Amino acid sequence: MHELHSSDLLEITLRTLSVCLTALLIALAIGVPIGIALGRRQFPGRRALLGVINSGMGAPPIVVGLIVAQMFFRNGLLGRLELWYSVEAMVTAQVLIALPLIVALVIAAVSALDVDWELQVRTLGISARWRTWLLLREIRLGLLAAVIAALGGILSEVGAVMQTGGNLEGETRVLTTAILMYTNMGLFESAYALAAILVGLMLTLAGLLTWVQYGARS
Amino acid sequence: MSRHRILALLLALTSSLNAAGAARAEESRTLLLATTTSVQDTGLLESLLPTFTEATGIEVQVVAVGTGAALRMGAEGNADALLTHAPDSEKALLQSGAVDRRVEIMQNYFVLAGAASDPVGVRAAGSAIEGIKKIQAAKAPFVSRADDSGTHKREVELFREAGLDPDERWPAYTRTGAGMGLSLQVAGQKQAYILSDIGSFLAFKKETGLEAMTGQDPSLRNVYSVLRVSPAKHPRVHAAEADEFIAYLERPDTQMRIGQFGLQRFGQRLFDPLGGSGE
Repeated sequence: MHELHSSDLLEITLRTLSVCLTALLIALAIGVPIGIALGRRQFPGRRALLGVINSGMGAPPIVVGLIVAQMFFRNGLLGRLELWYSVEAMVTAQVLIALPLIVALVIAAVSALDVDWELQVRTLGISARWRTWLLLREIRLGLLAAVIAALGGILSEVGAVMQTGGNLEGETRVLTTAILMYTNMGLFESAYALAAILVGLMLTLAGLLTWVQYGARS
Repeated sequence: MSRHRILALLLALTSSLNAAGAARAEESRTLLLATTTSVQDTGLLESLLPTFTEATGIEVQVVAVGTGAALRMGAEGNADALLTHAPDSEKALLQSGAVDRRVEIMQNYFVLAGAASDPVGVRAAGSAIEGIKKIQAAKAPFVSRADDSGTHKREVELFREAGLDPDERWPAYTRTGAGMGLSLQVAGQKQAYILSDIGSFLAFKKETGLEAMTGQDPSLRNVYSVLRVSPAKHPRVHAAEADEFIAYLERPDTQMRIGQFGLQRFGQRLFDPLGGSGE
């Protein structure tokens, strides 16, 4: 009676992709500069800060979801935005889940650079913008690892997405929450159809990124 | 260590595990009970099951899913007994032969809940059916679980009884496809009307700020039954254990405890015992 239609399938898949890719881009835009800054500079308290970030890597998404959902509630900190159970709330949670992963992996990549590398680049006498570009090129493998880890994490996330989005039909329903819903309804055929798409997406994205990674190595 | 010794060790390990498994199957008796989340969430089973296990030695494994999934588990022989609240679907299952006993254990009333301000006057409508008509006519915010659960099935019936099309949508009509708790929270945020079981409604009342718009309305009667999966159809089910469980639920002292359940937490009873009747 509520079986999945192919139009739902497409809509849910597209929403899943747009939510996850938006969250990924925002997390990269924030996380990469932070990672580079923390990875290159020495300052007091750096070690403690790295510890906090690494512990953020293990922040349970369900806790992130709980806090973000409450923030967006009517009486919450951001209640005025009227964005309870919205795509925006979902993206916020996913950004917070992906961010520590990206920062930590970028720090690792930057820290792994040769000590002389920076000196060599400085002797080239090029602008800061070019130096950053060279740095990004140099850590591209680490960046890709960060992208894969973050995307894998948010694409397969259920709890936080359910808490912040609510699985609302036509509004916030994504692949993972739809799979959970159809499983609870006992409509396993629909659940399997969605599961196949989710696995297919993961494999395609991971394959694509790995392919790029090998290309980047040569 | 040589390859042969590793192999021998593995063999010894697996055979001892098998032996332990066989011994367990002989010694302990289990019952796989599929029930709905709305029952599980009240905590009723946690309150009743320890006494049952103590009296009979039967360990009960509770799987809490939607009514749709629970009934399907019964139909496919993946559970030994069911505790659900969808009489029509249950009777259909009985007719199909997948279950061979259905005993009505308890009942309560669904609640049509809404914001305290009650913008379309559902409280004054006099009945749930009239209330639903008003909500639909005013295109007021309404949250539907839309998950084929027992509660959702009743919501569909209610729309039909009111002469309305249950599939009609309007902009403020939201389908969550999620459990009662989350759906109530969505309704609380949207200040929407929603049909809920009484237990979930009370548990989330403080957080959602929603209030009951209806009372003991006959069209909101909610009957919970226990069903035995048929051993004739599914020979591997634990039918004897299911019988003992049904007998336990029918016992007068268990019925009394069901009738008092909820007083401690909510200051009101959640279920009226039905004494066990049915096919």
